[in-house]
Amino acid sequence: MATTGTRGGPVGHAQVCEDLVARMPGSSPRYVGAVAVCGAIVAWALFAWGYQIANGFGSTGLRRPVYWGLYIVNFVFWIGISHAGTLISAILRLTGAEWRRPVTRAAEAITVFCLMIGGLFPIIHISRPWIFYWILPYANERMLWPNFRSPLFWDLTAILTYLTGSVVYLYLPLIPDFAEMAERCTGARRRAYRWLSLGWRGSDRQWQALERAMKLMAIVILAIAVSVHSVVAYDFSMSLTPTWHNTIFPPYFVVGAIFSGIAALVVVMATLRRLMGLQEYLREVHFVNLGKLLLLMSLIWGYFTFSEHLTTWYGNLPMEMDVFQAREHGVYGALFWVMVTCNLAIPLLLLGVSKLRRISTTVVCGIAVLIGMWLERFLIVIPALSTPHLPSIWGGYAPSWIELSITAGTFAAMALLYLVFVKAVPIIAMWEYEGEATPR
Amino acid sequence: MPEGSTEAGTGTQRRTPQWGMAIDLDRCTGCEACVVACASENNVPTAGEDQAAKGRTKHWIRIDRYYEGDFPNIRVRHRPVLCQQCDEAPCEPVCPVNATYQNAEGLNVQIYNRCIGTRYCAINCPYTVRFFNWYPPEWAEPLGLQLNPDVSVRPAGVVEKCTFCVQRIKRAKLNATAEGREVGDGEIQPACVQSCPAEAMVFGDLSDPSSRVARLANSRRAQRLLEELGTKPRVFYLERAD
Amino acid sequence: MDRRNFFRVVGTASGGAITGACGRKSEEIIPLLVPEEGITPGVESWHPAVCGECAAGCGILARVMASEREIEVDGERVRQRIATVKKLEGNPNDPTSGGRLCARGHAGLQALYGPDRLRGPMRRAGPRGAGRFEAVSWESAMQEAAEALDSAVAEDAGRVVFLSRPRADLRAANIAKFLSALGAPPACAVGVRDFAAEVQGAERAYGWRGIPAYAIRDATLVLSIGADFLSGWVSPVLYTRQFGHMRRGRPGVRGRLIHAESRFSLTAWNADRWLPVWPGGELALALGLGRALVDLGAGASPTRAVEAARAAFAEVDLDEASAACGMSAGTIREVATELAAASAPVVVAGASIVREHSADAVAAASALNVLLGRVGVAGGVMPPPTVLADLVEARPSSNRWRERLANANLVIIDGANPAYSSPSCREALANAGTVISLSSFVDDTSAYADVVLPDHDPLEREAVALPSASLVESVACSARFVAALHDSRPADSVLADLAASAGKPFEPLDAQGALTRLHATLGAGNGAGSSEGFVESALEQGCWQGRPASGGTTGVIGLGAFEVADSMVPAVFQAYESLQFGTGGGANRPWLQELPDPTSSAMWGLPLEIDPVTASELAIENGDIVRARSDHGSLEAPAYVNPAAIPGVISMAMGQGHSQYGRYASGRGANPMSLLGDMRDRRTGATAMGPVRVHLERLDKGKGLIQFSRQDRDVPPHRV
Ligand SMILES: Nc1nc2c(c(=O)[nH]1)N[C@H]1C(S)=C(S)[C@@H](COP(=O)(O)OP(=O)(O)OC[C@H]3O[C@@H](n4cnc5c(=O)[nH]c(N)nc54)[C@H](O)[C@@H]3O)O[C@H]1N2
Ligand code: SF4
Ligand code: SF4
Ligand code: SF4
Ligand code: SF4
Ligand code: SF4
Repeated sequence: MATTGTRGGPVGHAQVCEDLVARMPGSSPRYVGAVAVCGAIVAWALFAWGYQIANGFGSTGLRRPVYWGLYIVNFVFWIGISHAGTLISAILRLTGAEWRRPVTRAAEAITVFCLMIGGLFPIIHISRPWIFYWILPYANERMLWPNFRSPLFWDLTAILTYLTGSVVYLYLPLIPDFAEMAERCTGARRRAYRWLSLGWRGSDRQWQALERAMKLMAIVILAIAVSVHSVVAYDFSMSLTPTWHNTIFPPYFVVGAIFSGIAALVVVMATLRRLMGLQEYLREVHFVNLGKLLLLMSLIWGYFTFSEHLTTWYGNLPMEMDVFQAREHGVYGALFWVMVTCNLAIPLLLLGVSKLRRISTTVVCGIAVLIGMWLERFLIVIPALSTPHLPSIWGGYAPSWIELSITAGTFAAMALLYLVFVKAVPIIAMWEYEGEATPR
Repeated sequence: MPEGSTEAGTGTQRRTPQWGMAIDLDRCTGCEACVVACASENNVPTAGEDQAAKGRTKHWIRIDRYYEGDFPNIRVRHRPVLCQQCDEAPCEPVCPVNATYQNAEGLNVQIYNRCIGTRYCAINCPYTVRFFNWYPPEWAEPLGLQLNPDVSVRPAGVVEKCTFCVQRIKRAKLNATAEGREVGDGEIQPACVQSCPAEAMVFGDLSDPSSRVARLANSRRAQRLLEELGTKPRVFYLERAD
Repeated sequence: MDRRNFFRVVGTASGGAITGACGRKSEEIIPLLVPEEGITPGVESWHPAVCGECAAGCGILARVMASEREIEVDGERVRQRIATVKKLEGNPNDPTSGGRLCARGHAGLQALYGPDRLRGPMRRAGPRGAGRFEAVSWESAMQEAAEALDSAVAEDAGRVVFLSRPRADLRAANIAKFLSALGAPPACAVGVRDFAAEVQGAERAYGWRGIPAYAIRDATLVLSIGADFLSGWVSPVLYTRQFGHMRRGRPGVRGRLIHAESRFSLTAWNADRWLPVWPGGELALALGLGRALVDLGAGASPTRAVEAARAAFAEVDLDEASAACGMSAGTIREVATELAAASAPVVVAGASIVREHSADAVAAASALNVLLGRVGVAGGVMPPPTVLADLVEARPSSNRWRERLANANLVIIDGANPAYSSPSCREALANAGTVISLSSFVDDTSAYADVVLPDHDPLEREAVALPSASLVESVACSARFVAALHDSRPADSVLADLAASAGKPFEPLDAQGALTRLHATLGAGNGAGSSEGFVESALEQGCWQGRPASGGTTGVIGLGAFEVADSMVPAVFQAYESLQFGTGGGANRPWLQELPDPTSSAMWGLPLEIDPVTASELAIENGDIVRARSDHGSLEAPAYVNPAAIPGVISMAMGQGHSQYGRYASGRGANPMSLLGDMRDRRTGATAMGPVRVHLERLDKGKGLIQFSRQDRDVPPHRV
């Protein structure tokens, strides 16, 4: 099923390499333009961050009691999306789902970039970022260790582990392709690719070692991924904030993460397919299969959401009901119903009917779910914080231009990282196309 | 109730006191003298109109007031709320850098220099008595002359809260040590307690069963705020009679 | 093991695993970066002073420590080490404060260090009222003032008007000396918070001169009619202290409080029962209660006074009284029965919100104490102190100040702000011959001054003051203990200099002199020792305290006839003295601006308090901007829908709406007095604060209200 010449696409390893390398973006005005636009947005976001550091946190929209705002929302959102790579790549690799091959690298890259972006948010979020490293358990003469009891410390540990693992996991399958790229380039690029390929010659021993390593990493990364989003959930569920203090959060967060991860993958794939002309590689079957997964996750997410809200409502604890009321009826009510529409109604409608399941509908669902899941994170963080235990200090929250700019900047940063990435490496693993008969 | 240890300490202070407070809601009138007293003692800056509109004032102690019922059968329930100095303080374990911890005398203390500003403690305090410094504090000249040199002025980006007027505790202990005696019951008066015209607040050593605060804390009227959360606050409220 | 302990163990264990050996507890590791408790306290000293924030005259202590400030000397910035006041506390020796302080008392510090305090004398540089001034030297300012004084006195000393505060203190004595040296009439208070109704009521009911004190600490039942004694009335600290004791200070006895007032004030919050009387209905309520008590047979052992009271009340028709105050006859009888049955009842008679009939209302309420036999007994009403009678004599009263101001050739203002509390007097201020202000700030009134000769702050000058109410004979006093921060001069010596340059010198009284005189009047055999020792000890203690005020017998009664005045006019407005700002003076202290208003939780502004019925008729919600119009004026302010307001009664606290009062107060909010025109108590002439009929109109939906707490209720509507 890999490269079917019958459909007019390239056949065999050599042609695939030829074809994919040819499709890597050059320095067309369109490419440069895209880089410039994304770069400008990122630069603006960096300016906003600098402004925040220079002028103090007063420049944000945060207040008592909503001490956490969009940065935490974005943190959970981006770390959630990072689960795209894990799921597609590791689960499918371990279960031997062959259709996965053209999508793994795109997915793994999402993981790494999302972690880089998501991992920045805790630093953006703290008001004295220049000493953020005080959370790290590094030795110093004061013998001041971080607080091992703090979920934030667990978070940091988990994310750093996940980032390290994901980089390795992205890198391993890149090694043969780096060697391949080195063959096709000259000068400095050739030297760089050669250096990056770590002396890959493609010997049997090397292949065996690589495959063993990839399999091991797949298992490891899967465990880390589940734990990472559980730990992110612990940030909330370890607290006493009404509705956060909740056993459902870790699995709920993991499910939401995978859900949004698939959605992100669909959107990224559709974009690459369109912009890089990868119609021959990323075909309807991939979208339809991912669409089915998306549908499944939508149902699971719906089930978790329903359970969470039902138990809150039925339990009728006054302090939880305050949050419930704020979320379902008050100011946040509209957002809540947009979220339900995006995450449940649209996927059920478009993907639940097999006739409607197409590339276009899957992409629409992907976009809807990304919006819906961002709103879900927002609705978890903000309403609960604005209605704490004692009503005397309730208060609302509206983000300032700083937080909005930084949020926009992270989406631009994601695009920018991807633009650079697809220029440097083939976005589809070339070595996976060793020939129809020998899928690796 | 926290037990005081009697291990040998420094100077003549042989027991480790366990500080606590009792507030008689039948006495408290809601006059807010304590609120200004605290701001004055502890260099708590005013936020100004714009910041106040954004919900960024700092009141280490505040009067929560709620109306109950409707005219004419209406009444007000009010309660001074300050840091409850919880024995099981939810603000403590979440701080990644140990900037807030419980000291041997039961105070939930904050080390401003350590704080990196995650505000995790602030959201995890169920009483919402932790305050964040949104901007560097400012005092229009010469208002700065009112500042108490015994208390740090907190920089932007750190969290602060009621300290039980730890500087007054320290002063009383130093005075007692210099005079070769122990700190007497009622000798330490946090600024809010000192000011309260209704004498609604009593501060002292909970581990000394003969202290006024311990006796009040054991009274049948004593309750603690959000006690059901298991935070074990050290502030005891003697509920109003009616 | 509970959850958090679990993590504590896990935390320590894993920490220990990584550090390897170190078994120290985390709290011993952490304080390497100094926590607050590691700070060494500085060197402090405490000096007695007298609080200048209200007429109560609390004795306080000022904490003095060294500070540094930058000043300009010959155009060069230099650092100067000075002794500065860091904190204020009550003086434990003082029988009024008893070592305690109110919110406003604390904020006296921010008057001392107010950034808008005048640095030196000023001369007007714009039209009157505009508030534009230029700095001048003391020499030229004094010369200008002296010339104005000279020509005014030469023209007609009877038209010299001195507007001041209603306090019995050193300043009042010196003002009196100054005016009598000039041959000018006595000083006036401008009619807010001079307790004229209380003074007249005490005189008519008990034959006493001055403001009586209520020993509520020893009462078992307190009925307060119109006296919001826990917030702004005569002596908030004294009464709050007594209240605490009444409630929980006596083993096995919890005093009961019933409070009758037209708003749900702080005293109503704390009452066991609130009687929501219609504004102006206090007189009818007191008369109704008297009648019901007479019916119950109160006043069984008749004296002349009791007979007079019985006679006055016997005329009253209970149903008529009930209809006029909005309390049912049943309620009135119930309260009367409680009063009659209580072992130690006392009726606190006051006019926190002065009305047209306040003097009558206070007299009638006071007569209830006569009927109950609670005059001059433990837990009852106590006579005013009698020491330093000349200070009491000198206490300015509001006698015809408006008429005199309208005809003034020279106006001198010290401690009064009539342009704020009676905005309709602005025209008279604008037209007066010369206006001299002794204020430390450019406020609404000193904006009209031709010359401002800034006084020292109360913390920078010596003081002797009689408390406005005290259960014992007492005086609060202080010597100077810090140098003046700015180029100000104590008004007492400024007045002496002005009088001298007009050729009418007088010898100003100082603390030493006043205390020496006090010692002399106490006479021999009072155990006070030598005069020097007496003065020294008083100044060291910050107060002198004598015997409990006595006066068990009731003097001549002059109650006169009462008439039930029907007050039930719909949609009325009343102003009231706020907890934070008093009658407005506190508005330039940022601590007080940021202190949530007890009723509305408003900060940096004060709302129109509208009852829920009126609000829903006009679709007004919290924060909407509302225009209120009366026959006398109009104002715009954010609305607060007060759940406890009497339907049809709109209230607003005084404090905001200053045209001039520095950066924190100028142009902020609205002045409720602008709706009232020239309303007065008919008998005393004191400025009335309502009721007037108002018309409300919603202008904008909006966020006009900054609230500390936007949630009024512990149980939000959806939980009910
Ligand atoms: N014999 C001898 N004498 C010397 C010197 C010497 O070499 N030999 N060196 C001299 C020199 S260079 C110096 S700098 C001085 C140092 O002498 P000091 O100024 O006395 O400094 P420390 O001994 O460090 O004590 C400072 C105190 O301040 C407290 N503290 C810490 N932070 C704060 C804060 O934020 N606020 C307040 N209020 N207190 C705080 C600490 O707990 C500590 O108790 O000694 C001088 N004296
Ligand atoms: S000072 Fe005392 S009476 Fe006043 S609000 Fe505070 S605790 Fe209550
Ligand atoms: S009241 Fe809040 S800040 Fe104080 S110890 Fe308890 S949890 Fe911490
Ligand atoms: S804000 Fe400061 S004290 Fe609070 S948890 Fe974060 S680092 Fe710790
Ligand atoms: S104990 Fe001290 S720090 Fe705490 S509220 Fe009272 S005055 Fe403020
Ligand atoms: S009651 Fe008046 S005199 Fe006493 S402290 Fe308060 S403001 Fe000062």
